[in-house]
Amino acid sequence: MNNKLAPHIEELTKALESISTNIDESQIQEELEKLLDFRVPLDEAKRTIIRKYKSASMPVMKIRNITAGLKGFEVTGRIIDVTEKSVNLRGKDTIIFSGTLADEDGACSFTAWSNYSLKIGDVIRIKNAYSRSWHNRSEVNFGERSHVEKLPDDVLPSIDELTKTPVKKLRDVANTDLSVSSVTVILEFSHRNINVKGEEVTIVEGVLADETAKLPFTSWVPLDGLDIGSTIRFEKASVRMFRGVPSLNLNDNTTINAVDASTEELPFTFESANMVPESVPISEIMEKDGMFDVIALGNIISIRPGSGIITRCPDCNRVIQKNTCRVHGTVEGVKDMRIKAILDDGTGAISVMLNRELSEIAYGRSMVEAENIIQKAMSQDAVFEDMRQVLTGKYLAVRGNTSSTEFGVMLVSKSAWMPDNNINERVNALMKRLGNNKEEEADNG
Amino acid sequence: MVEREVAQRLFAKEFNDSKFNIHPKPDEVNHDGGHAPNFIVSPLGSKINRLFAAGVVTEIDNIGTEHDLWRARVVDPSGAFIVYAGQYQPEAAIFLSTMEVPAYVSVVGKARIYEPEDGSVFVSIRPEDINVIDADIRDRWIVDAAELTLDRIDAFSMALASGLSGSELFEHLVQNNIPNGLVEGIVLALDYYHTDADYLQKLKDTVLDCVKSIGSGSGDENAVPDEDLILELMNEMDTGKGIDYAELIIIAKSRGMAENVIVAAVRKLLAKGMCYEPKIGILKVVS
Repeated sequence: MNNKLAPHIEELTKALESISTNIDESQIQEELEKLLDFRVPLDEAKRTIIRKYKSASMPVMKIRNITAGLKGFEVTGRIIDVTEKSVNLRGKDTIIFSGTLADEDGACSFTAWSNYSLKIGDVIRIKNAYSRSWHNRSEVNFGERSHVEKLPDDVLPSIDELTKTPVKKLRDVANTDLSVSSVTVILEFSHRNINVKGEEVTIVEGVLADETAKLPFTSWVPLDGLDIGSTIRFEKASVRMFRGVPSLNLNDNTTINAVDASTEELPFTFESANMVPESVPISEIMEKDGMFDVIALGNIISIRPGSGIITRCPDCNRVIQKNTCRVHGTVEGVKDMRIKAILDDGTGAISVMLNRELSEIAYGRSMVEAENIIQKAMSQDAVFEDMRQVLTGKYLAVRGNTSSTEFGVMLVSKSAWMPDNNINERVNALMKRLGNNKEEEADNG
Repeated sequence: MVEREVAQRLFAKEFNDSKFNIHPKPDEVNHDGGHAPNFIVSPLGSKINRLFAAGVVTEIDNIGTEHDLWRARVVDPSGAFIVYAGQYQPEAAIFLSTMEVPAYVSVVGKARIYEPEDGSVFVSIRPEDINVIDADIRDRWIVDAAELTLDRIDAFSMALASGLSGSELFEHLVQNNIPNGLVEGIVLALDYYHTDADYLQKLKDTVLDCVKSIGSGSGDENAVPDEDLILELMNEMDTGKGIDYAELIIIAKSRGMAENVIVAAVRKLLAKGMCYEPKIGILKVVS
């Protein structure tokens, strides 16, 4: 049998050599035989093996472009730090190596599932790497099927250069920044007590802004003397990702200085940074993993099931059926109203969540009135049906934060309203556009 | 993650000119493991899987034999969308079977194409949601559709001006910040329809007519308040059985309007589809 297989194994080895040099003929033989034992046809078995070792194309990625869930790409970076960990992998103790990998304009964590004797400062090129989501960021993974190669040191800037904290406008802060420095004004500011490993800690939460964007922040150090309206210069704030939105963490390593906005010239003021944002085309929202404080405007093209009067568990707020919570057992449910709608503006579609208060605004009926509808109709679905009749096709504007979930992009609304009808303005703009175009053509012709 | 197909905004004219259907091959799955959706590509390069339309329902017929099959014409200023609702769209079917024409509606649905053997092609909408709207939403929809149609015309002009095709054209348009979906559509449409500058101009004229139909924003400003007054008066007078035309003229006159102004305003309202005449001498406002 081996003799019969030999030409095929040779063929496979040749096909795979071009992408990975550490392919071992006996390994291929073993896998091919195993597949044939399962009576997989030979052609199909060969295809399976090639697919396993090789992705159709192997794009070269920069770290800042890597998103979670990519397979079979090539990336080059310098190892900023690396630690050895022992994990239990399917019942086997395995040593893995994890750390941080950086290139000129980004950094990300990595996990190596085999030992490549990586050292801090090494520049490596990884072929056939894959990425997954880890702590809401993308992480580069590589293992047996990947090929790792050390490159000369001068391919990338030094560690010091790569780990220098960049000064950035908030709009440019991305999930490949480990830390940033910037000048911002505080728009929201509140204290909260949380429990960290059994210890009560007071943290500050809020929103920072400059002329380009707003971002949430958390401070683990007291911000004495600062409040809403204060302008601060911070250096080395660490960047965390939460629901696709970068969040700035101010901690012991961060230096924070108050800036006197009256003496220093800044491109923004509290008022200008705190302005209501312009509405954004939905296609733009869909491109991002998450956006902080945006306005979307479109038609409600569908009211989703789950809208209407719902019952929540009094302990955990989960939506429950028949007063039974899957965590807290039989409970006295609390009534609530909400709307889940699809908002579509012709460029894209997102799902929008409205809480009770905003549902009442959009729907035009209070929760009490809605409950009366249910009583009169003697049907739980009556409010859902009525909402569909009232809202489907209508225009709605919502403001809030978006995040990308497995069911598409979702916007959790902080406010909602029926948008102004500025039709005359838009008609005039259209007339101009149509007229101008004609003149241009006349000129050309 | 499965992305929801966007509901395209386009005028009936562009939709009804479409005859290029893209079926995904049965074994073709997209990178997320989901099935690739069906598309109709319009001559302007819209890739239409789902669409959102607003207009006046002018006709509803039950054309089914064994099962009910409701066919409705939803008219916009450029033409009519044909909507079919059968047994698998029970909610839309009930809606159509019970509504009175004419009325403003919005329709969200999937674009369908029917190609009988003889080479002719019919497009229609299979509704997912259909609802009564007011004239205000209809006007806004016209503005939305006009803006997005002009965007497509502009992108297509750029494509024609470049003289490129295929993957070169693709690159060129992507570099000029045309959205990916539209770029794919334009490349396909150019290859299939050979859309030319004449067609773009024709659609531009259609858009102009549609925008003009909104009434405001273009000359003729005296007429608008008269119509509004009459419409308001008609709403006041209508107790559900419609408005006696003669009575309307008497009351409007008593409010200081000249008879010829009243008659002209009513005629305009009728022409715009804001009201209709169920019986001679009786008017009803489209709600």
